[in-house]
Amino acid sequence: MTLTARLDRPAPRVSGRGQRWAEARAGSLLALPAAIYFLVFWVVPFAGAVYLSFTSYDLAGLPEWTGLDNYRRMLDDPGFWNSAEVTAVFTVASVVPSIVLGLAIAVPLSKPGRLNGVLRALVLIPAAMPLVATSMVWSAIFADHGLANTLIGLVGIEPKPWLTEEGLALWALVIMTTWKHLGLFVIILTAGLQGLPSEVFEAAALDGAGPIRAFARITLPLLRRTLLFVLVIAVVGAMQSFVPAFLLTKGGPAGATEVLPLYLWATGFGFERMGYASAIAMVLLVAMLALSLVQFGVLKGGDDG
Amino acid sequence: MRALRGTLLSLVVLVMLLPVYAMFALSSASDATDLGGLTFDASQLGEHLSQLFGQGDFPLYLRNSMILSLGVAVLEVVFSGAAGYALAQLTFPGRRVLFTVVVGTLSLSPIVVLVPMYLVVKQLGWIDSFQGMIVPFMMSAFGVFLVRQFALSVPRELLLSARVDGAGELHIFLRVGVPLLRPALLTLFLLQFLAQWDNLLWPLVVANDPRLWPLPVGLSQLQTEYDFSIGLVSTAALVTAVPPLVLMFVLQRYYVAGLTLGGVKK
Repeated sequence: MTLTARLDRPAPRVSGRGQRWAEARAGSLLALPAAIYFLVFWVVPFAGAVYLSFTSYDLAGLPEWTGLDNYRRMLDDPGFWNSAEVTAVFTVASVVPSIVLGLAIAVPLSKPGRLNGVLRALVLIPAAMPLVATSMVWSAIFADHGLANTLIGLVGIEPKPWLTEEGLALWALVIMTTWKHLGLFVIILTAGLQGLPSEVFEAAALDGAGPIRAFARITLPLLRRTLLFVLVIAVVGAMQSFVPAFLLTKGGPAGATEVLPLYLWATGFGFERMGYASAIAMVLLVAMLALSLVQFGVLKGGDDG
Repeated sequence: MRALRGTLLSLVVLVMLLPVYAMFALSSASDATDLGGLTFDASQLGEHLSQLFGQGDFPLYLRNSMILSLGVAVLEVVFSGAAGYALAQLTFPGRRVLFTVVVGTLSLSPIVVLVPMYLVVKQLGWIDSFQGMIVPFMMSAFGVFLVRQFALSVPRELLLSARVDGAGELHIFLRVGVPLLRPALLTLFLLQFLAQWDNLLWPLVVANDPRLWPLPVGLSQLQTEYDFSIGLVSTAALVTAVPPLVLMFVLQRYYVAGLTLGGVKK
């Protein structure tokens, strides 16, 4: 069997040790900028954030070690608890409808259809528009004589001060955020749906499963991986959301939209309390990591894949 | 059934695009009370455009944003491309450590390291400079990871045969690696350009000098200035939205590929 013999022959080692040396040299050269970059801009800052969170530091002089003081202060800080609550409400309220609506649009969009290519491109437009530009448009939409009030006026609802009423401002941000991210989730879910094996659905149809049953029993479980991905990026993204609250409401009225990143920024760069800001950053990081892990645990539980 | 589904779907998408249309309508609004109408007046828009480009700092913000976004996107492609390729295809000392750091960094976000990153840049003397805005974002863990994943699928035999032909490692990277990595590199270019075009928080922190403000910071100031009418502000928003939308349509295939990466089981 000459063919097998040829295939079985080990791959040619190009000049042995010389090749290894050349590879190590080229590899180090190509990776060196990355090594320096990640050390200077991520490893050192991360270590710095951990350290600063145990200090008091106002940019003048040196950080002063205060142990757990920052974390203890956080427990009694109504501003922190308010922004933690605002962030939690904002996250849940914007993630759930984005994913539910996203799925509702993705399911028909993933099926063959003449217009679907165009619709997929159109649905992405909000996601591709700069957040700053969309925030400005939405602040006009939510203004007193804006589009939002014109639209609810059509169904006979009194105009509302969207951005200046405590009970409403956060919901205005939720509406805008959901709108902004919906297209992104639609596209990811559409790709996931199109990747599902069609044989399973054909078999289910033969067994007499209706569309709702097939969706609940087959589509959702098979789509678990994609759903998890969307859920994680949605939650982590919502927890870091800064721009809408900064541009539309500046955290007001009365702190009703003061999300945690805004509070962190104001603490660090408004009041120059860098140590306390770092402690808030640590809490935010731990919360994001914990939530991601919980999501993996819940959605992967019982998954054999 | 199918026609109904198509009609319903089109309707939903049209409603989603209403705020985009509102941006057009608002950009032609003549005064501050003209907010709820959805009429579009092209001549008003033209008026606003010439005001926007003829006076004030808008052209400067636009230029700064271009420098920032292109700078970050180009550097990201070059350096994350090189590192991702090296991690996937070459054996070198420290490879494991670098990969571990990259994967660890994936779960960090700029907001978490905001304060110490600012201190590093301050230490380097880069406050109020373009390098202070660009260099901290010139690479990303996501970028290195994306290129590495993509480079893993480049067949080793291809590189090996180039080696047999006597080509040097860097030559192989440039002539064989880079062309094969092009889809990943374009994805990265696009996503980084868009991310920087939208970056408000970091420039807000490191650029105090208004001459350096990119669009997000500049626009957030325009919005609070009272002599700027809603029409003018919306026109500014409209112009700001053009480059990302054009890029997205040109590179849509890559944009979608970048978005769906990791979300769909291969």
